[in-house]
Amino acid sequence: MVSLLKSQNPDGGWPYQRGGPSWTEPTAYALLALFRQRPVAEPIRRGLRWLHAAQRPDGGWPPQPAVRQSAWVTAVVALLGPAALGADTYRPGIAWIVRQSGEETSFLSRVQRLLTGNSQTDPGWAWFPGTSAWVTPTALSMLALRKAPQCTESARIVTRLQMGVACLLQHACSDGGWNYGAARALDFDAHSYPETTGVALLALTGKDSPVIRKACRWAQAQLPKCQTSEGESWLRLGLLAHGQLPSDTPLPLRSPRTIQNAALALLSSDAIEGRNSFLE
Amino acid sequence: MSGINRREFLTGSAGGLLLAGCGRRKTVRRETLVSVARRPDYTQELYGELRRVLAEFPLDVRGKRVLLKPNLVEFEPGSPINTHPLLVHAALEAFRELGAEVMIGEGPGHRRNTLDMAEAAGYFETIPRFEEIFTDLNLDRVAEVRLAHPQSRLQSIYLAQSAMSCDLLVSMPKMKTHHWVGATLSMKNLFGTVSGGVYGWPKNILHWAGIPGCIADLYKTLPAHFAIVDGIVGMQGNGPIQGTPKRAGVVVVGTDLAAVDASCCQIMGIDPHRIEYLKLAAGDVGGLIRSIHQIGEPVESVRTRFDLLPEWSGLRQS
Repeated sequence: MVSLLKSQNPDGGWPYQRGGPSWTEPTAYALLALFRQRPVAEPIRRGLRWLHAAQRPDGGWPPQPAVRQSAWVTAVVALLGPAALGADTYRPGIAWIVRQSGEETSFLSRVQRLLTGNSQTDPGWAWFPGTSAWVTPTALSMLALRKAPQCTESARIVTRLQMGVACLLQHACSDGGWNYGAARALDFDAHSYPETTGVALLALTGKDSPVIRKACRWAQAQLPKCQTSEGESWLRLGLLAHGQLPSDTPLPLRSPRTIQNAALALLSSDAIEGRNSFLE
Repeated sequence: MSGINRREFLTGSAGGLLLAGCGRRKTVRRETLVSVARRPDYTQELYGELRRVLAEFPLDVRGKRVLLKPNLVEFEPGSPINTHPLLVHAALEAFRELGAEVMIGEGPGHRRNTLDMAEAAGYFETIPRFEEIFTDLNLDRVAEVRLAHPQSRLQSIYLAQSAMSCDLLVSMPKMKTHHWVGATLSMKNLFGTVSGGVYGWPKNILHWAGIPGCIADLYKTLPAHFAIVDGIVGMQGNGPIQGTPKRAGVVVVGTDLAAVDASCCQIMGIDPHRIEYLKLAAGDVGGLIRSIHQIGEPVESVRTRFDLLPEWSGLRQS
C-alpha cells in the first residue's frame, strides 16, 4: 500500500514503473486497490481527477493521454464503478464498452468467414478498436459490465455478457486454460497462460461447464509454479471465484515488478479476505 | 534519414560509409557489409569474437545512445525461443568498449511480464545490474509516428520512445522460422518496439494491417539500425514458439537489417526472394543481395537447412 502511494506521479496518475509516465491501466488498478483505504482520500481524489481529464469525448479512455484513441483500458477504469467515477463519467464509459467488439465479428468479416468456410465466433472485445477480440480485454470488459448497475443499456449488457461467455468458452486451449486467445495456429495447439486463465475464470464467475472445470484444474496445477506476480494474482482471483482456491495455497511467491501488478496483488489478497473489488 | 530513404541507402552509388557519427545521417554506399561469424556454442569466447566482428564495421558510437533489442518471447528456458543472454551481454560489453551508453529494451508480443521473462531467460543472472539498464518497451513513453509511404494499412503507429530516440537501435533476434511470415529475423524483431501498452498482447493491429507491410514500415521508420543475429542455436519448424532447436552455429552481423536478414535466409536454406517483407522493404531483393559485401564465413560454408512447415515449403532455396 505504501509503495503504491509513493509511486503516484505528481499529475495524479500512476506509472507502470516508478518514475515513468502516468498510464490509465495502473492508475485504475491503483485506485481500485486504494479505494477502501480512508486515510488515502487525497491520493484517490488526485487519481480520479487524472482519470476524468483523460476520458475521451467518445466516453472511453486512452491507454495513455498521448494516445488519440479509446481502447481496452476503458474496462479497467469502469471497474471503479459509478460511485467512484460519477455517473456522468461512468455511463459514457460503459456505453463505449458495449459498442465495442472484435473486428472478426464485423459484418464484412462474417461474410468473409462464411465465404472462406471459417467458423463464426461470438463477439468478444479487442485490445484496440479495429482488431480481433482476445481473452484479456474480453474478460475485463465482462467484469466491467457485470458491475454495471441497471441502466438504459441493461438489455444490451445482458446480451453482450452472454456473448462474452460464449466467446471465452470457444477460445479455451486444449490443455485446459486460456492463452491470449489463439488456441490453435496452423493446426498446432497453443499453450495456456496463467494470467489469461485466471482473468477468464474470474469473468466466468457463476458459470459452470466442463471447460470451466477443466480450466480450474489447470489453474490449480499452475499456481504453485507460476512465474509472475500477475499470474499468481489472477489465478487466485479466478479460482476463488469458482470456489476452487485450495485452502492450503501458499502466500504469493513472486514480487510484483509493476505498479499494476502490485495493485493486483493487493486486490487478490483482499478478495481472499472476502472483499472482491472485481465482483462487488 | 537526411532526405534519403532506405532503398536509396542500400542501392545508392556514391562512396562513403554508413553511420556518420552513428546518428540518423547516412552516406550512400554501394555495398552493405554483412559479417558471418562461426560460433559453435554460447561460451566466453563469444565476447572476444563479437568485439572482433564489430571492429570490422566503421561504427562511431562514442558518446552515443545504443539500444540493444533482443527477442524475448516466452517462459521456456530450455527452448531456443529467446535471444541468448550471453550474446546480449557480449554486445553490451563490446558497445561499451566502443564508448557507447548502452541500454537494453524489449516489448514482447504475447506475454506482459517482460522482466519476469527476462529473469527466466537468464538475463538477470548473466547481465550485471540488468534491471537498471533495461526498458520494457511495451510500457515506455510512446511517440505517435506518421508513416511516410506505408506498405501496410497503417497511417501512423505508437512506438516506444526509447526506440525512437536512441542513436543506434541494435536488433538482436533469434534465427527462427515463423509460421506467419516464413522467417523471423532482425526486421521482424522490430515489432518489439510497438507499444503493447497501447495495442495489447498480442499487438494484433500489426496482423490486421498486414504483417509483411508492417515489418517493412518499421524498418523504414525506426532510426539507424544495426543487427546481431543469434544463429548459434536457432529454431526450425513451427517457430517462433513451438519449433525445435536448430544449431546453425553462427552470429550474423550487419549495418542493414534487410541485408542481414537476406543473408540469414540463405544460411537457413530459405530463398530471400520469396520472403514478402524483404520484397516490400527492398523492392528488388536481387539488388539487395548483390549489394551485400560478405565478410567472415562464406554463407555456403555455414548453410544449415532449417525445417519448414509444409505451408512454407515454397520458400525453400533451390
